[in-house]
Amino acid sequence: MPKHDTPLLDELEKGPWPSFVSDLKRQAETKPECWDILGQLELSYKDRITHWKHGGIVGVFGYGGGIVGRYSDVPKQFPGVAHFHTVRLAQPSGMYYATNKLRGICDLWEKYGSGMTNMHGSTGDAVLLGTTTENLEPLFYDLTHIENQDLGGSGSNLRTPSCCLGKSRCEWSCYDTQALCHHLTMHYQDEIHRPAFPYKFKFKFSGCPNDCVAAIARSDFAVIGTWKDDIRIDQAAVKGYVNGEFPSNGGAHSDKDWGAFDIQKEVIGLCPTECMWMEGDELKIDNSECTRCMHCINVMPRALRPGVEQGATICVGAKAPILDGAQFATMTIPFLEINADNEFEEVVEQIEKIWDWWMEVGKNRERVGETIQRVGLPTFLKIMEVEPIPQHVKEPRSNPYVFWQDEEVPGGFERDVREFRKRHAQ
Amino acid sequence: MALSKEELKAAMIEKATKAPKPQLYVKDFYKCDPDTKPRMIKNVANELVKEGELMFWSSGSTTMYARPDRIKNEEARDDAEEHKND
Repeated sequence: MPKHDTPLLDELEKGPWPSFVSDLKRQAETKPECWDILGQLELSYKDRITHWKHGGIVGVFGYGGGIVGRYSDVPKQFPGVAHFHTVRLAQPSGMYYATNKLRGICDLWEKYGSGMTNMHGSTGDAVLLGTTTENLEPLFYDLTHIENQDLGGSGSNLRTPSCCLGKSRCEWSCYDTQALCHHLTMHYQDEIHRPAFPYKFKFKFSGCPNDCVAAIARSDFAVIGTWKDDIRIDQAAVKGYVNGEFPSNGGAHSDKDWGAFDIQKEVIGLCPTECMWMEGDELKIDNSECTRCMHCINVMPRALRPGVEQGATICVGAKAPILDGAQFATMTIPFLEINADNEFEEVVEQIEKIWDWWMEVGKNRERVGETIQRVGLPTFLKIMEVEPIPQHVKEPRSNPYVFWQDEEVPGGFERDVREFRKRHAQ
Repeated sequence: MALSKEELKAAMIEKATKAPKPQLYVKDFYKCDPDTKPRMIKNVANELVKEGELMFWSSGSTTMYARPDRIKNEEARDDAEEHKND
């Protein structure tokens, strides 16, 4: 029997897609507080304003992140959600779970919380939605002692690092994303669990430029797999595609008849740097012009593969603030070796250079991308000890002034004013 | 010259006690000793939380520090509101 009338929400049950409203109604049969979620959401739809307020001093002992306090601003009307905190759980690298692990977590959440989960939040964590302050410590105890499961990051912490499936399933992965993600998660436990920075900081790891975890759009420090040498070509397979022996894109678009495969139209003509051409029936690539967009490799996976000298490009500073608009991360280090044998020390070195600088220079609630915008990319590249290259240039300059550093000018800026006056008497 | 850890802790507690706003960003503590590295200040702030001298206040996206006697959680605030007219 519904506790609240929800005519607006009921509309969301009518489409052909799965409905969270139906899920919540089903959950409310055993967790009556879920009726109050529906009631409050219906009210929000009517009032066109959220009735959640978030933040506070909720947390578990010793941790400065992982729990986000959430409260209703109409608690008398909806007492079941008066306090409705969110718990973030660190996900395993690549999000591989055993089903008994998921059952264990769900059982604990049925016991201590609303039973509602969000798999996964945009940071990557498994998100458990809705519990009370008094249930937090017992839940945390059982999560850590029974499920061996840690909390994720929130607030001004390092957020839970996340990665793509990497070499576990993907032939294009240029480094072991899961190994790097797991290593840095363990290496930076203190930064994940206790606030360290002026604002949030996110790592994301993609094995190739297809960037399946959207690292370039969502992370302050994006590690995106790439290669240094030439794309590997199997000319016999290229002919196979041209002759229609293999479906393009691995058959991903075969639900519709797109006509015969046209390598000129579908591959060569779509290359953003126009670095491909046919010589007879052989595909040629000017690899020095290749921008690693992956389009040709995606279309003809049997014929083309990333090169063998593999590593990663480091992009810094993605953000999506409301006032300034979204910004992709900026390519900072074109190629970095990713080496598990030395515990990824090259990556750690770059991360700590950024942190040491940003912790000092970054303003409160300023993402590192905003700090870079404020001080300018040339200054940031100096901090990173990276020589500028043409690919760092976003657009032609509009500022006519050239700022030279002391060491860039022969003799520097030091001068003897008296000597100058002798030659330029007023 | 950088303050000793104990001197730094005392300066940070004083700052958190006397600041006009009860919640402080970690950067607000940098001024307690400009010679100490930000990472060290962060470590000391977290130690003070462990000792119960400071506590975390988080909006979900940002975390701040406060003296426990200077802030109330929402539950306590709701109770206070309810009993205001008693």
